[in-house]
Amino acid sequence: MTAGNPPASGSTSGSGVALPHILGPIRPRPRMTEAKLFALVALTLLVGRVSLSLTERGTFELADARGLGVYLGVLLAAHVAQVLAGRRSDQVLLPTVGLLGGISLLLMQRLPQDLVTLDVAGSTLGLGDVQLLWLCLAIVGATTIGLVVRSDRWLRRYKYTWAVVGIILLLLTFVFGSEVAGQRLTLRIGPFSGQPSELLKVILVIFLAGYLSENRPLLIEQDTRLGPFRLPPLAYLAPMLAMWAIALGVVVVQRDLGAALLFFAVFLALAYAATGRLSLVVIGLVLFLAGSTVMAQMFDHVRDRINIWIDPFADPLGAGYQIVQSLHAFARGGLLGTGLGAGLPTVGGRLPIPEIHTDFPLAALGEELGLVGVVAILGCFLVIVQRGLRIGAAAADDFRAILATGLALVIGVQAFIIAAGNLKVLPLTGVTLPFISYGGSSLLANAIVIGLLLALSDRGVEPPPAPSPVGRDGWRARRRLRSRRRLGAA
Amino acid sequence: MLATSSRRRPLGRTIVHVAIVIALLFGVLAGAGGYWSVVMAPELVRSPYDPAVIAASRTVPRGRILDREGRTLARNETDADGELYRVYRGPAISHVVGYASTRFGRAGLERAYDAELSGLAGDPVGDVFRKFRSDPFDPKDLVLTIDYELQRAAVEALGDFRGAVVMLDPSTGEVLALASTPTYDASAIADPLTAEAAFGALQTDASEPLLPRATLGRYVPGSVFKIVTAIAGLGSDAITPETTFEEQPAAEEEGLLVDGFRIQDGHHPATGDLALDLAGATEVSCNIWYALSGLQTGGEALIQYAERLGFGSPIPFDLPTATSQVTNGNGDGPGGFVDDVELANAAYGQAETFVTPLQMALVASTIANGGELLRPYLVTDIISQGGSRREIDGASLGRVIDEADAAAISAGMVEAVEGELGQQFTAGARIPGVLTAGKSGTAELGGSGEPHSWFIGFAPADQPRIAIAVLVEQGGRGGEAAAPIAGRLMAAYLEGLE
Repeated sequence: MTAGNPPASGSTSGSGVALPHILGPIRPRPRMTEAKLFALVALTLLVGRVSLSLTERGTFELADARGLGVYLGVLLAAHVAQVLAGRRSDQVLLPTVGLLGGISLLLMQRLPQDLVTLDVAGSTLGLGDVQLLWLCLAIVGATTIGLVVRSDRWLRRYKYTWAVVGIILLLLTFVFGSEVAGQRLTLRIGPFSGQPSELLKVILVIFLAGYLSENRPLLIEQDTRLGPFRLPPLAYLAPMLAMWAIALGVVVVQRDLGAALLFFAVFLALAYAATGRLSLVVIGLVLFLAGSTVMAQMFDHVRDRINIWIDPFADPLGAGYQIVQSLHAFARGGLLGTGLGAGLPTVGGRLPIPEIHTDFPLAALGEELGLVGVVAILGCFLVIVQRGLRIGAAAADDFRAILATGLALVIGVQAFIIAAGNLKVLPLTGVTLPFISYGGSSLLANAIVIGLLLALSDRGVEPPPAPSPVGRDGWRARRRLRSRRRLGAA
Repeated sequence: MLATSSRRRPLGRTIVHVAIVIALLFGVLAGAGGYWSVVMAPELVRSPYDPAVIAASRTVPRGRILDREGRTLARNETDADGELYRVYRGPAISHVVGYASTRFGRAGLERAYDAELSGLAGDPVGDVFRKFRSDPFDPKDLVLTIDYELQRAAVEALGDFRGAVVMLDPSTGEVLALASTPTYDASAIADPLTAEAAFGALQTDASEPLLPRATLGRYVPGSVFKIVTAIAGLGSDAITPETTFEEQPAAEEEGLLVDGFRIQDGHHPATGDLALDLAGATEVSCNIWYALSGLQTGGEALIQYAERLGFGSPIPFDLPTATSQVTNGNGDGPGGFVDDVELANAAYGQAETFVTPLQMALVASTIANGGELLRPYLVTDIISQGGSRREIDGASLGRVIDEADAAAISAGMVEAVEGELGQQFTAGARIPGVLTAGKSGTAELGGSGEPHSWFIGFAPADQPRIAIAVLVEQGGRGGEAAAPIAGRLMAAYLEGLE
């Protein structure tokens, strides 16, 4: 129905003819906001490090700040690289991430170092050093992506390829995943291991941005009536059901309630953002509730999680132990906290909260930095989300808008899910607190998110392709264009 | 055509909606943080499950526990490794003070007042500045209402029987003695060297020495429950002190038929054809009169007045208490009784009625106090090391019946101990030279075992200074086992006052 009148420009740029983007002469451009924020971050973290040393040993020596010095050096390098490259990208994101990462570094330096060890070149690195390594890689990674990615064609054009990659990742985890504590989260191939769901969430957002932006007009303008609801055409709801199935699959296969919740929530939010249809959200929530109810009936681990959530104090030394200990940590912290390093040490050689470095960093920080610190950390996440959404709202086209929104939401919703789990607002699920939890997969995946947001925010990137015809007819039109181009090339 | 449609809005607006939702969600998180870190914090930081509390117990000296005369009931000693452990005055006090053990946790007041004793309890304002202090702990001493010598006398009076004694000052609610037997040596549990063996042996002991029978034991009350029935009857004006039932003397021989169930009376042939009133029925413990009273009062009023006395929910107390009940409450009749048979049997304490000794002591104490129920309490002062002192006073839990009704019941209870016929049952409770009020109970358990022996009462009847409940498990008739114990203990206490 639209084949007769394709937009005039569709034939020239809709296909994304690959003009190599030539970098102009490099013209350094100061980033004063970022510089000031970085200075503030550095000052805050140095004060924190001194306070930590004074609490732990009573004195502060420069050697204590070596790890932090390396980290701040990497942040400085990231800033300088962007200045030299003359980028006009967002100036708040990196300092905010830098602050969260720095807090993470101080926390990991303060926890027992033998929680995680890594043998490198004959010497053994402890928790703090390993996390420092990942943090530096993450900052470098985010900055590099922000600098190098100047075009979104590779994301935009291959969305179904990305979807296939995601599904393959999921299947690989199912087949080769090793089970830890009843969850099958870790994929181990040769010497490499990682948590695929961290990468999967980025891939999911890219796919959704492609799908939703391409089909947005149809999703908005055609109605199917279903009782009181006005829905998009049923055929276009299929991806929604597929998403729902994938989320449930993640629960069943990986036993990963947190990732499933994250995927589904981000999907619903993006579907709403793209279409403005509240009915999608309502139906999604109904599906979610139905799915959870059935899951709770069928699977013991789901039911246990929910029961523990409802009343952890029923079994404070058994099933409810982690969450009860987490709440005690918040309570011990009170309004102002005990101070960095002054929280409860190990009790009888054991951590007060098992898995504190991956699942409960917020509780640990709640004890040492108090309610004030927790609210500040939550505020940092909110800043990241709002910057991401701003980038989305200001984006040049639908794809970039939805992509930026999705990337921001991935961080925000994930932070919400685990913080809510720590605070008994939601059942506890094992997702990481972005930029704060220990772990390479999480840090690197979230670095990719920040890197893409930086790239999207850059006012110097390649302009998006002009709108192309949509839907089935659009697909035909595009195929015609492609074959014509191939003929021409031949 | 698509691009121009009015319904296709730019994305900015929906993104703002998303932003608002996310901000609200994070607001919820901040609220939850405030709830746990500030609102719930004072309660959580004193919980025995808080590892800080557990850690503190190893290094911070706990506050002492003293009785009303200043005798030390619990103190600290240091073992060979320099770790602190608790030493207690003697087994007689174990069910009150409990124990604090690094291995086996805490019980009794050591558990209930753990935050105060270990010094973690503070005020919300002080807690904010606690982190600036070098010693964040402020252990406090507890002063109890218990008289240790009376407590020890109560345990000795029970001897080898399993049972409980509760003694209260009826005018304040102070608990003077709270004894349960068998008891145990709390010091052996607290001492790291003997803890393992001692605790293991106590846990497997069939006589359940770790069970505080006075507060957590639930027993068939038998005739001592008649006082509750009298309270409900008089309180609801269903009966008066002069009420008589013409069916009563007629049924003495053959028993009273209620819906086909025959209620047999106790043995009091001396009353002959006399229709008994409240005092007479209480003196001879007439089952038939009380069954008829209960039926006339009705299930609803009986339950209502029992609940005013503390039945139906745990008694507010320093230690955990079991809930006393009049009925299972799953019947269709008024008050939850199954039928009139259950109601009639409950009226003299032989149906699905289960009570704690503490609850029955409160019944006696309420009559002694002119019908007003006072909150029982064990801790009277909490003293910080700095000398500041928090005093805890008695509190009323509400008036149950008016003074005239209480006086009428009191008169009946005096007859039950001092009356010509009453003496035949409960002579043991008499205190030479002191007018004593009381009621014995013989709780039939079914089967061939000896019944539980009960006595509740107070003295002097005209100006009560002491109220008591005594339970002797399978001690036989109430007048034979429980009443003499009560008499001796009340006499000892009143002597000590002079």
